[in-house]
Amino acid sequence: MHNNSMSIFVRNSLIALLVAGVITGTVIYAVNYLNNARVAQLGAMENQISIDTLSLDTQFSLLETAPCDSAASSTTLTGELTDLGDRLSYAEGQLGIDNAQVIQLKEQYSLLEIRDYLITKELAAACGTKPITVLYFYSNAGDCSDCDKAGYALSYLRTTYPSLRVYSFDYNLNLGALKTLITLMKVQDTLPAFVVDGKRSYGFTSLADFEKQFPKGALATSTTISAGL
Amino acid sequence: MCYNCAMMSPEVLAYPFLFIALYFESFLLVTFLSKPAREHRLETVVRSTPKVAIIVPCWNEETTVAGTVESLLALEYPKEKLSIILVDDGSTDNTPAVIDRFSHHPQITALHKKNGGKFTAMNLGIEHAKDAELIGFLDADSSVAPDALREIVAAFDEPGISAVTASMSIYKPRTILQRMQYAEYSLAITLRHVFASVNGLYVTPGPFSFYRRSIFADIGMFKRAYLAEDMEMTMRMQRAGLRIGNAIRARVYTKGPPTFPKLIKQRVRWTTGFMRNMFFDYRDLIGTKKNAVLGMFVLPLGIIAIGSGIFLFILSIFQIIQRGLHAFSMLQVAPLSYAFSWHKFTWFYLPITALTILGVMVIASTFVWMVIGKHASKTPGKLAFNMVVYLCLYGIIAPLWLMRSVSDVALGVRTTWR
Repeated sequence: MHNNSMSIFVRNSLIALLVAGVITGTVIYAVNYLNNARVAQLGAMENQISIDTLSLDTQFSLLETAPCDSAASSTTLTGELTDLGDRLSYAEGQLGIDNAQVIQLKEQYSLLEIRDYLITKELAAACGTKPITVLYFYSNAGDCSDCDKAGYALSYLRTTYPSLRVYSFDYNLNLGALKTLITLMKVQDTLPAFVVDGKRSYGFTSLADFEKQFPKGALATSTTISAGL
Repeated sequence: MCYNCAMMSPEVLAYPFLFIALYFESFLLVTFLSKPAREHRLETVVRSTPKVAIIVPCWNEETTVAGTVESLLALEYPKEKLSIILVDDGSTDNTPAVIDRFSHHPQITALHKKNGGKFTAMNLGIEHAKDAELIGFLDADSSVAPDALREIVAAFDEPGISAVTASMSIYKPRTILQRMQYAEYSLAITLRHVFASVNGLYVTPGPFSFYRRSIFADIGMFKRAYLAEDMEMTMRMQRAGLRIGNAIRARVYTKGPPTFPKLIKQRVRWTTGFMRNMFFDYRDLIGTKKNAVLGMFVLPLGIIAIGSGIFLFILSIFQIIQRGLHAFSMLQVAPLSYAFSWHKFTWFYLPITALTILGVMVIASTFVWMVIGKHASKTPGKLAFNMVVYLCLYGIIAPLWLMRSVSDVALGVRTTWR
């Protein structure tokens, strides 16, 4: 009887190990498949935004000045960039900040942001508009304790005031164009760092203090929304 | 973007435990489908009716012992072959008078003794059951189904069986904790059935476990055994190479602690009894090849279960506090209405990770075993709601008695009965 129990135990243990291994392997494969699908979607979005950006840029070059009716297209592009940024942030949380695909996607995303920022400035100069732009520099290397709060506050402001254009950059990203932007804007490595309408500021304390950095009246139309809702 | 993602998520620490849980569930499935377990689920055929004695040790059970005795008298078994021995272990309430009311019954013997602990009452009962071939025990807060004894006796027909356990369930659960225990006991029915089929049991529980009388002469009587005399006896039987079976349709109903303090008290007694017996007196069973199921699977996983229960609880508390504080600090930044406003949701944001999928699979398979346990044993009652209660409470409450037990064993705190 003992030998019989022993043989059943050994057999069942091996089968159970195999079953557990196959299930775990399948689950890991499925989750990886899903993550790859996420990355593929991000890549597709970036490609589309890249084409749209290039189209807008080419339009400017053809007309030798910024067509003011392109402002709407530019706004749509910024909205798409925001959506892409949110998804990229989520994917970064799922796949990890060291993931090569995530880093590559972030580099492309940062380039698109810089391009969109330049187009916005060109449109503003040609058409006399005054869009409020925020360049936000963060770090997720564990050396920026207030970056979470700053990011959340900017998400809130961006949602509440759709005309606000927020561009988020990972300060530590090894990207030539980003480093040039950081140099041009004279942004130091005290994070979080902001450039609101060309003026630099560092650190985050509260939403109220942060809002003071915006030009007077810049958030006026939406103040009602923030207070009322 | 992803802010402060640099720290490795502590969730990854849960993966080894999840894999072990999955392995355990897979082993259950394979063994449940194996020939020995399948044969044990076949319809019961009673080939003989040996003489049986059922001992009911009582200590301050004035409200429940009468119901226990009446359920025993209603057992479908030849009256001349069934004797019931009630042993009052020095009760200080009205228990002596209650059991004396039954003393005139031809099947019943009522004994009284000074309080000496449950094991002394059980041993006294054994001494008075000289002509019985099979001796069973029933706690004085439990009752049995009429056909339970026939199921038990039939299980002894299998060659080499020295003891047989029954299928316990909670009788008419009323409080939320009893409902949780109902689901837990349904799972235990399956576990006991599966592990008995490969002789992997480490406890023959107090409610309605039976032994061949001869084993008490061979390996001795019950001992104090850190108030876990049933576990100690089972481990002694396993050490002696004896075989312990299970009669899945032998239903016994127990009340189950209705309140939190009583539940914790009971479970600390069980868990410390398990740990003390195993670590202090039966360490040789761990890893033994003589009974590989017990030594290399059940006992090691029992230890891992205690450790993982505590570890995962602490990990969860740590995560809840960490995320709670983070969420709280975020709520200070922007108006509350923003946090609860509608955000666009697509499949992209589905929070699917290997951890969540494997966790859901383990929980789902646990529920399946509960359903199987209930139906295979033909236990009455409704399970669905009780499973929900189990899901909500067990992971919070069980670690509390596990931590208390580990602490008591480590510090040498003496466990008391009530």
